[in-house]
Amino acid sequence: MNGNFDYFVISLLLTPVISGVLVTVLRKKRTIEVITATSMGLVLIQCLFLVYEISSKKSISAFGEFFYADAVSAFVILPIAGVGFITSLYSINYIGRQYDTGVLDQKRLVRYYQGFNAFIFTMLLVPLSNNIGIMWVAIEATTLVSVLLIMLYVKESAIEASWKYLIVATVGLSFALFGIILFNYANIGSTSPDDATNWTSLLRNAKSLDPNIIKIAFVFVLVGLGTKAGLAPMHTWLPDAHSEAPTPVSALLSGVLLNCAIYGIIRFHMISSAGMGSGFSGELLIILGVISMGIAAVSIYFQKDMKRLLAFSSIEHMGIISVAIGFGGFLGIYGGMLHMINHSVAKPLMFFASGTISQKYETKAISKIRGIIKTMPLTGALFLIGGLAIIGLPPFGIFLSEFFVLSSGFDNGQFVAILFMLVFLVVIFAGFIKHLVSMIFGTPEKEMKKGELGKLSIIPMIILGVLTIVLGIYLPDHLKELTNDASRIIGGK
Amino acid sequence: MADNNVLQISAAVLLIATFAVVSRRGFMDWLNAYRYQSIVLAAITALIASITGIWEIYIAAGLTLLIKAIIIPKILLRITGKLTLEVRTEISPYISIRASVLISAMLVALSYFLTQQISIKTDSIVSTFLPVSVSLFLIGLFVMVVRKKALSQVVGLLILENGLFLFATALTHGLSLVIEIGIFVDILVGIIISAILMSRINYTFDSLSVENLESLRDD
Repeated sequence: MNGNFDYFVISLLLTPVISGVLVTVLRKKRTIEVITATSMGLVLIQCLFLVYEISSKKSISAFGEFFYADAVSAFVILPIAGVGFITSLYSINYIGRQYDTGVLDQKRLVRYYQGFNAFIFTMLLVPLSNNIGIMWVAIEATTLVSVLLIMLYVKESAIEASWKYLIVATVGLSFALFGIILFNYANIGSTSPDDATNWTSLLRNAKSLDPNIIKIAFVFVLVGLGTKAGLAPMHTWLPDAHSEAPTPVSALLSGVLLNCAIYGIIRFHMISSAGMGSGFSGELLIILGVISMGIAAVSIYFQKDMKRLLAFSSIEHMGIISVAIGFGGFLGIYGGMLHMINHSVAKPLMFFASGTISQKYETKAISKIRGIIKTMPLTGALFLIGGLAIIGLPPFGIFLSEFFVLSSGFDNGQFVAILFMLVFLVVIFAGFIKHLVSMIFGTPEKEMKKGELGKLSIIPMIILGVLTIVLGIYLPDHLKELTNDASRIIGGK
Repeated sequence: MADNNVLQISAAVLLIATFAVVSRRGFMDWLNAYRYQSIVLAAITALIASITGIWEIYIAAGLTLLIKAIIIPKILLRITGKLTLEVRTEISPYISIRASVLISAMLVALSYFLTQQISIKTDSIVSTFLPVSVSLFLIGLFVMVVRKKALSQVVGLLILENGLFLFATALTHGLSLVIEIGIFVDILVGIIISAILMSRINYTFDSLSVENLESLRDD
């Protein structure tokens, strides 16, 4: 019906591909930095247009029904494009500095930018593909590309992290593929074989699918994509991978890739709910979400490494989103979707700040970092803003979305889950405050030169910091409408 | 009925190849067993193609033969050719070889039991290959968990993936060709990356034991 989007989707997907090819050919440091930042800028503009179209047309499709995007996809497309662009700016400073100090050589610099472009391409494919098989292929491809990006450093810990990530995520995704084959099988009687792997077709036929098969299939998909989304107890790879990756990649992994995996879970949750009510899949999502928050709470409180602290915080927030979708109801899902955006803004801010801090202090150990506010006033202040936002203090956005999620739980009578969540949130709050205060205030252990690490490390953080504050006070009308739509679509109304 | 016998025999051959991996210690034996398993898998896929008359499955069979029986073993051989015998051999797995064989046999029985529990259509292809594919999936998973060498984990993963492929082919006559090709590309790239990683692990730790990879933790 919307044939005119064919060219548009192709152009969007080709932008990072072309830029990746150009990076491979041209190889000069300044050139490939500019190419990547420009291409991410183009991706951002196209995505904003796409999301605008989604909000006015409700859903768009291209190449028949091969590509499909609605308001739910918009909550993944926006972070990919926004965080992708800002990260490409931050990379110029961070990766450039590592190149100057000799941590990375020319070959690895080129490989970094190739990987960066490929990573954005594979992630864009996830929310755009309607075919659940292609979605799986894209998610597995994100694993492979991000493993390559973590492998950029040839040191023991990076090798360990990438091996664990590769093996655990691939095995997890095999489970997801098992589930996807079952979904396909359940749908094969109702429609033509080519149409049976389309998500839209599965949703249309949801009522006639065999509930027993859908139950098994959903469990497999949840285990598989849950591994990728970092839901406990399948989260073991996440803290390693997110903390050992180059900082800009950590920001993408935490702020964007996790959303892609949660997005996949939401899609299958919708099929399962449309067929037999949201009870079955919702309960599972609540249980996994609460366990994730619990494990994150303990690990955050006793954490010694700054980047692992942030990684566990991502597990916590994925848990909250999972619980939000599980609670259901308009308000719960509304909060969950908003939480995705808020987390995608605040977490990259934290990672950028931590990257700058660890370059300055030459360590990631929380106990060795003191007095950031004295050595780098701006970075310190932004780190503090990010930290206060991430633990859910008002007036930041995360406070609002967590509040929605909790009150929707009250409405649905999920008191046990709420009780656990509150306890975990308090522990996380206490742990985070403890670490933040010790790192930001106090006096540096050794005499350090005062000063920031360059404009391009500060500007991306300021953009994100301002966004964090703005989203807590004021929701733009378009975003509000998108969240409404997404909540209605997932709620099945 | 002749068809039926062929199906049964090919399923049995596939299982035997899988047990060859479980019962051996040396990497060359696994690799040969895997190659043998993939050839049988390609033959089975071609057989399903001829029974169902869907031409796309022939292409999948061809790709299986090319990628799994030829390219992947070649990549793994290139990496491991440089390693010493000691590094390549599974000397002390977490569970002894004898116990592994026993457990794998139980996993096969479990797969037959599980697949009978779900109400799934019963034609001869499904009833023959569904339990076998689930067995491959479980045994692959089991091999990954109980072996210490990074190489065995990769072989386990490959067996598991063969199981998935058979599962999809038997149950739904394969996902559509675009997806199958995407999956093949993912596997191939995954194997190349794991090969690079293994050579780095070996270079850095002078061993391929995953016990070296336990320094990142929170305590």
